[in-house]
Amino acid sequence: MKWVTPRSGFDEVFDPRGQARPHYAALISILESFTKEDVERRERLQQLTLRNQGVTFTVYGEKDGLERIFPFDFVPRIIPAAEWKGIQDGLVQRITTLNLFLADIYQDQKCLKDGILPAELILSRKEYKRALLGLVPPRKIYTHVVGTDIIRDDRGEYLVLEDNCRVPSGVSYVLENRNLLSRVFPEFLGSYPVRPIKDYPTLLLETLRFVAPRRGQNPVVVILSPGIHNSAYFEHSFLAREMGVPLVEGRDLLVEGNHLFMRRTHGKRQVDVIYRRIDDDFLDPLAFRRDSMLGVPGLLNVYREGNVALANAPGAGVADDKSVYAYMPRLIKYYLGEDPLLPQVPTYLGHKKDDFKFIAEHLDQLVVKTTGDAGGYGMLMGPFAAAKERESYLAAMKKNPGNYIAQPLVELSTHPTHIGGKFEPRRVDLRPFILYGDRIRVLPGGLTRVALRAGSYVVNSSQGGGSKDTWVLAPREA
Amino acid sequence: MILSRVADGLYWMGRYLERAENTTRLLLVTEELSTEVLGLDEDVARGEWRDLRAIFPGFAEGEPPFRHLAGLASASLLGLSIDPENRYSVFHSLKKARDNARSVREALSLEVFINLNETYRELEGETRRHLADPATFRSAMQSTHRGLMSTVGAIEHTLTRDAGWLFLKLGESLERVFRTVVILRTKLPALVSDEPKVDLPLFYSQWRSLLRGLSCLENYRKVFGARLEPIDVLQFLLFDAQTPRSVRYGASAVKEHLDRISSASDVSQPARIVGKLAAELSYQGHDLIRDGQILSFLDHVLAELGRAHEALSAVYFGS
Repeated sequence: MKWVTPRSGFDEVFDPRGQARPHYAALISILESFTKEDVERRERLQQLTLRNQGVTFTVYGEKDGLERIFPFDFVPRIIPAAEWKGIQDGLVQRITTLNLFLADIYQDQKCLKDGILPAELILSRKEYKRALLGLVPPRKIYTHVVGTDIIRDDRGEYLVLEDNCRVPSGVSYVLENRNLLSRVFPEFLGSYPVRPIKDYPTLLLETLRFVAPRRGQNPVVVILSPGIHNSAYFEHSFLAREMGVPLVEGRDLLVEGNHLFMRRTHGKRQVDVIYRRIDDDFLDPLAFRRDSMLGVPGLLNVYREGNVALANAPGAGVADDKSVYAYMPRLIKYYLGEDPLLPQVPTYLGHKKDDFKFIAEHLDQLVVKTTGDAGGYGMLMGPFAAAKERESYLAAMKKNPGNYIAQPLVELSTHPTHIGGKFEPRRVDLRPFILYGDRIRVLPGGLTRVALRAGSYVVNSSQGGGSKDTWVLAPREA
Repeated sequence: MILSRVADGLYWMGRYLERAENTTRLLLVTEELSTEVLGLDEDVARGEWRDLRAIFPGFAEGEPPFRHLAGLASASLLGLSIDPENRYSVFHSLKKARDNARSVREALSLEVFINLNETYRELEGETRRHLADPATFRSAMQSTHRGLMSTVGAIEHTLTRDAGWLFLKLGESLERVFRTVVILRTKLPALVSDEPKVDLPLFYSQWRSLLRGLSCLENYRKVFGARLEPIDVLQFLLFDAQTPRSVRYGASAVKEHLDRISSASDVSQPARIVGKLAAELSYQGHDLIRDGQILSFLDHVLAELGRAHEALSAVYFGS
């Protein structure tokens, strides 16, 4: 087996002297025992399994919305128990804060009055839903499901890159990757105390049932999907199957007398909780975008009356805005009186004059992102962009500076990844999933995304990224 | 009770799976008969292809007439097997079945989806290779046929018998009986004309391939023996109570599914239409065939099945 060691950045597996870190030693020796043919045979089996089971995502902009297999790399990422403890505590602290923040800006707006962050930064965002001011969601929970992106800098320190409070996706691949790895490389899991993740759908269902408005009876929970052409449709369908709940589209639902129902072959049935996988703007054409064909006319009124729960709550998207991110350390301190447990990446804000000047002058060293976009769209990688590209990007920025933030390029850790018969270092990130129900639970693991192209920093599936199984090890018994 | 959209998706998945199977089988049978009779009577071979194109009318209009049989045969084979533009091609039906399956995947078992997906993927691979010669064509179609059979097996062995299953089977049974009637309606005029226009051995070949096209040859022999009498074949294909592709059996299957879907208290409009039809088929007999009313009777059956489809779409799918 040929291992290529990285030239720069922190490597998850090898220390700077080229030695395997202790928690990877067993895995490396198993991998070393395989012949090249063994590995190739199993990789073919792995491809076939993914293809036959239809574990796919859809790429927009291609003919017919092409279905693609989400590339999977079989070398797992391993996180020791102690490291995970730090991540988990930090995430609980963050999600607690995000909820307090959302409750605040939709109620008393104390943080704005106290000048913790500028009011116009929040109130001007399209993700801030003025119509929901004063409305308290069931159990006061806004972010039932969050996916927070974490990276590691060149010293191996875990940094939060962004929170996804709207409709974070990827958890189906987390579960499928584990299934696949245990089938194709059963030797791996046998050698480690890996914490199980299979109960995620059960916990998700509990989380959703917890917020049902009608207490004391069996609540009807559904998943609301935009339909088969959505890039994450596989996941919507996967979660519906795993939880045993109906997968609905907007046209399956109707509002009558301030209650929500689904249309069935023999009459209708009331719906209590919607795990919605469509954006705020498309939820209800009467309340938000009038041209939305995906939503349900009148849904927001039913929500307002407290007759249905929506997860995540409408309006929660403002909390994961990239400019709010910059204020997170201050918000944690403000609401909890604590210092952040998980550090984050320094962020320059386009709406601040000084910051904007700095960004404009250091464009060749910074990563610039638009505040509203996700999925790696609308981003400029300054250090790698041509001068012309930077110029035209800057011109666009000047028209709407508040729409941009910039961060120094973080090297990102690398992880050996099987490419063309060799194990080569490729950059990775980590998206753990957090559920907020009767308490906050962090799924032990998460989606490790890997930039499959040599030298690339972009891990998004839509742009040539793949994924790995992610193991969180159980603490050693004392 | 299930979502109307899911019921709709399962119904069409059932119809397209059945259609894919029908097309596959008839393509194989037609290709074989055409090869068999080619040297004896080219017109018969040509007629077989024309019939097939009438049964599955998915070819683009304004196609130039084929001067040579070989051209007609190969255009028909390609068109009805892998041409994605032909709405009756096996590939098109499989794709539609899979699209519907994807849209209601939560209502299916993993086994059903995997079998269907594999069958689709395999044929999709063939579409890139163009099925160059008859042997390749046959092996691809046989492989698709096996895949369809295992998908149906997975449906039989893994799905829970709930409303979703009933709609899937309803689609399958309606498509099946509809296609049987279309086949009979297309083939019979030439076969029952007073004086056979072809040699006797050829004549029997045609009747035999009609039975095979409806996977009924062995079943027929069990009832009537090896001797093919047109009147017996017709009697069998129309009124046999046990062979799954007879018209009578098919209508009863549709009726049974509609009855089970109907709520206990009152009979739904589609169940009423098919119930009457099934009763007619149960009590009709030889005289219909003897009196030469068979073609108009088949037209009547087709019209009623069409009405049943409209009615059940309106009642259950809200369309």
